[in-house]
Amino acid sequence: MSVTDEDVLKIARLAELDVDEETLPVLTEQMSRILEFVAQISAVPASESAKPFVPGPDAVRFRPDEVKPWPLAFGPSEFAPAFKAGFFVVPKLGQFEEPEA
Amino acid sequence: MSDPGEALASAKAAADRIVRAKRLNACLTPPKELRQSLTKQAQAAHPSGVLYGMPVAVKDNICTLEFTTTCGSRILEGYRSPYEATAVAKLKAAGALIAGKTNCDEFGMGSSTEHSTYGRTLHPFDKTRVPGGSSGGSAALVAAGAVPAGLGSETGGSVRQPASFCGIVGIKPTYGRVSRSGLVAFGSSLDQIGVFGRSVHDAARVLSVISGRDPRDSTCEARDSLRLPTVPESLQGFVIGIPKEYFPPDLAPAVRRACDRAIRLLKELGAAVREVSLPHTQYAVPTYYIIAPAEASSNLARYDGARYGPRFDGARDVRALYRTTRGEGFGPEVRRRILVGTYVLSSGYYDAYYRRAQQMRALIAQDFRNVFDRGVDLLFTPTTPTPAFKAGEKLADPVAMYLSDIFVVTANLAGLPAMSLPIGRVKGLPIGGQLIGQAFLEDEMIEAAYALERVVPAAQDA
Repeated sequence: MSVTDEDVLKIARLAELDVDEETLPVLTEQMSRILEFVAQISAVPASESAKPFVPGPDAVRFRPDEVKPWPLAFGPSEFAPAFKAGFFVVPKLGQFEEPEA
Repeated sequence: MSDPGEALASAKAAADRIVRAKRLNACLTPPKELRQSLTKQAQAAHPSGVLYGMPVAVKDNICTLEFTTTCGSRILEGYRSPYEATAVAKLKAAGALIAGKTNCDEFGMGSSTEHSTYGRTLHPFDKTRVPGGSSGGSAALVAAGAVPAGLGSETGGSVRQPASFCGIVGIKPTYGRVSRSGLVAFGSSLDQIGVFGRSVHDAARVLSVISGRDPRDSTCEARDSLRLPTVPESLQGFVIGIPKEYFPPDLAPAVRRACDRAIRLLKELGAAVREVSLPHTQYAVPTYYIIAPAEASSNLARYDGARYGPRFDGARDVRALYRTTRGEGFGPEVRRRILVGTYVLSSGYYDAYYRRAQQMRALIAQDFRNVFDRGVDLLFTPTTPTPAFKAGEKLADPVAMYLSDIFVVTANLAGLPAMSLPIGRVKGLPIGGQLIGQAFLEDEMIEAAYALERVVPAAQDA
């Protein structure tokens, strides 16, 4: 399964990653090789009877539904890039919906 | 050890050894900070703890209060966690000293510790080679004798593969044996904290301390801590399976010779050895490289420059902030895996890749159940197809790098306990043998490892 530069740019947009023009051809070639490599699992007939395997406990334990303070050693003002009056500060939202390339 | 003076001496000696091993680039903590913290920890350590005064190096994707937690990434440069991992809290409660944070492939993504923004870690015996990865920093420090034990983490063999390359013991417990709280998430259905030791006993006693229930991790089983087995006189009564798929024709001859010798020794110890088959083994690496990137693409969505870590230029709007922070903050291997993960989860490709991989994972887990249901207690295999490879050798070819994990990813996919121990050398480079056990039967696996460790000439050429 090969991908094109356009495919990679589209996926990068979905993943909110900047990809520069210089690295794009290498990335496209490497992604194509990885996807061709992993596609070999399609050689085995799909087994509808095989239920997804999930390791760990059979069922997630329920905990009391109560609000508790998380015992942090220090608050977000010390680890956030920008924090003011109890809020994480970010630039304006801008335009989230982009036309498809 | 129960004397505070001895704990202080242990702390100072550990700091000296770690600083002397600086050329390996295994420890990310600056020397001055390391010395000050170790002294402070030794003064505060619990003298009654079973690990009192024992220095334990910790991989930099496990949260600590004493030191930064960067995951080997620029996107978390200088980050201090406001809480510590349960495994770290348990170590400290047992009197252990956190002996700095160790270098790793960025977010645990790699098999050579070359994908760290802080430079590559060198193999302790041959600086032209890699120590394995992603937990290569902890492995190198233990192998260099700087610390008796270290914590690493596994998503796909990241403790056992470097343990094999560096000639030490590495244990990955059953998924759910050790809390993941405070382990920075990569592939949540695969991630487990593991341990390194210079001996089976050192690794096992650290594992025993960090294991057990934790209300902060609902995937951690509600079980007591692992009880350490005694060193057995023989392996009479053990049935050890040798999966034929782990001995392909292109296996390095020295690795094959070392494994053949170890199998002979297991028989001499009284174990019944029989060939078995795990027919879906060849699909394990492709399956892993769909599931792990898919989970990573979701887990790493949180790094956006808004809540923690540094913020890179992107002041135009919030979307520019996300893209520039993630584009500049993540290294090439992490970017590649996020893109592959996003692709296999995207509309139109989910069924062909992700759903299919989940089905394959079930078949791989079933392979193991079939073998264990037929009376096999443990499996013995090589840990890696070759000894440590040269630095840079596989960097341009991600698929070649992925295939170095071919014998280790199966235990992660099936959630089983597995460990690597040294079984020989070739031209001075260590070779590891792997034991894979049944879920939550680490004690049996460790018992067999104790026995094999006593008789195998690990320092001799195979």
